Amino acid sequence: TLRLVCTTTAVQRKNVGASGPEKYTEAFIKKQIEEFNLGKRHLANMMGEDPETFTQEDIDRAIAYLFPSGLFDKQARPVMKHPTEIFPEQRKIQWGEDGRPFHFLFYTGKQSYYSLMHETYEKLLNVQKHQDQLIAQDLPLQKEKRNLAGSRWLTKIELEEMLLEKVSDDDYSRFIQLLEKLVALPCADIEEKYIQKFSKEVPVQLQKVVIEPLQHDERGVAFSTGEGKRKTARATAVVYDNGTGKITVNGIDILHYFPVLQDREQLLFPFQFLGRIGKHDMVCTVSGGGRSAQAGAIRLASAKALRSFVTEKEVELMRQAGLLTVDPRVKERKKPGQEGPRRKFTWKKR
Amino acid sequence: RIMPVRWSRYNPSYLEPEVKKESYQKPLEELTEEEREQMELKAVRPIKAAPPSLSSSVFSDPMISKFTNMMMKSGNKVLARSLMSQTLEAIKRKQLEKYHKAPENEKETIECNPYVIFHQALKNCQPIIGLSNITRGGKTYQVPVPLTDNRKRFLAMKWLITECRENKHRRTLMPEKLSQELLLAFNNEGPVIKKKHVLHKMAEANRAYAHFRWW
Repeated sequence: TLRLVCTTTAVQRKNVGASGPEKYTEAFIKKQIEEFNLGKRHLANMMGEDPETFTQEDIDRAIAYLFPSGLFDKQARPVMKHPTEIFPEQRKIQWGEDGRPFHFLFYTGKQSYYSLMHETYEKLLNVQKHQDQLIAQDLPLQKEKRNLAGSRWLTKIELEEMLLEKVSDDDYSRFIQLLEKLVALPCADIEEKYIQKFSKEVPVQLQKVVIEPLQHDERGVAFSTGEGKRKTARATAVVYDNGTGKITVNGIDILHYFPVLQDREQLLFPFQFLGRIGKHDMVCTVSGGGRSAQAGAIRLASAKALRSFVTEKEVELMRQAGLLTVDPRVKERKKPGQEGPRRKFTWKKR
Repeated sequence: RIMPVRWSRYNPSYLEPEVKKESYQKPLEELTEEEREQMELKAVRPIKAAPPSLSSSVFSDPMISKFTNMMMKSGNKVLARSLMSQTLEAIKRKQLEKYHKAPENEKETIECNPYVIFHQALKNCQPIIGLSNITRGGKTYQVPVPLTDNRKRFLAMKWLITECRENKHRRTLMPEKLSQELLLAFNNEGPVIKKKHVLHKMAEANRAYAHFRWW
């Protein structure tokens, strides 16, 4: 079986809306909404602010002030939100008074999923018919390449939220395969609107990080700082301009602090990649971790510091070389019933 | 399609880092369609951190690092790396001796670069076809089977290392023995090449069972 270890929050959220038919009636939800609005006005009155312009952030601050809680789990603290955020959207009852279901695919068990597959396949056939027409008229087929890198398909959780019913892994992969097939056809531009419902924009550049400007020393030398970590080691590096290439760690020269060649190679890696070996001086402090972890932490710190000295394109090249990502690998914990993280106890026949 | 990875600390959408500087200096026109798509994908997706054994300097070679890791025992990378550098030094010394003793016309044919010798020796040791055990009707047959590139490299390195660890005189050190083996393999002689030929002959002998393979 396959398991995701490092997951984004989107993947970890449980979709409660798809778990089954109605748990709360519509009238109940309406009443909750009215109560929420009344309560909001009362709260605004209590805090002495204008009830008309009382936003959700103000509500959160007021509740945190009136009901201070020391609980660790943020979801266990008192919260006051709009009922649509607390009670998730759910399917209404799918059959009429006589017991006859509304949708023709109700008895398949996954009516919205199968109806979606039917719709998508219909669009596919449409596109193929259009293509055949164009070929019959001897017109050239449009071949505009869709920008694959800028968009991604909906995740399984998002699809479940859209359809309001559970979607299994196999079903999800089949749906994505069908969408890919649709997109691969040359005349898929006709169904662009339909496809856009299932694709999301990915932020084009992963350069959401802000590059700090250079600071200047008393002597007028430009310098910049960076912080890095690896396993348990934490390092800060200060990179000075107009230097001779000397590197000092915790007040000791690197030749004495890192006797192993591999660590020194790691320290020089960012400088060598940018071609600036003799031009910068570096002073770093590092604590924690072991020999290799400290070297990795200093490498990350110096790469982050060098970002301020270098153009944006080179920063992008450093990112693609893997110099600016924090290494998430840590020592795996030991499990009960086993000798180590993976090693099991010796099997004894009796 | 993103498949969840078994037990990786990274999100499956993270891509492998590209360390070599030369691959970034190619102008846009020379790239093929696939490479252009790869570039665009890299601009959007996050990238894993470069491991400590990888570096953009001229001296780091992925094959050498792989070989050093295979030679390493109980995580003693320092020792393995020093053995590797001593081996390369020993190869260089031997080749230089030969170079200085050789007559003028043969001086050009003698290869002095230890990295070139290492790569060529590994290439010469790689088997082309391998054997795998397939059980049919109770009996296990040795069926000739094509090997992937990774498997070939792994087998070549494994044979070299086991050969050096076992068939040596008690007093010879690892770098000495390894350099001998590498030079022999470079000239297509030596026990490792013999092992490769034996494997090839076995595969040729069992040709009749080749149809047992179903993949």
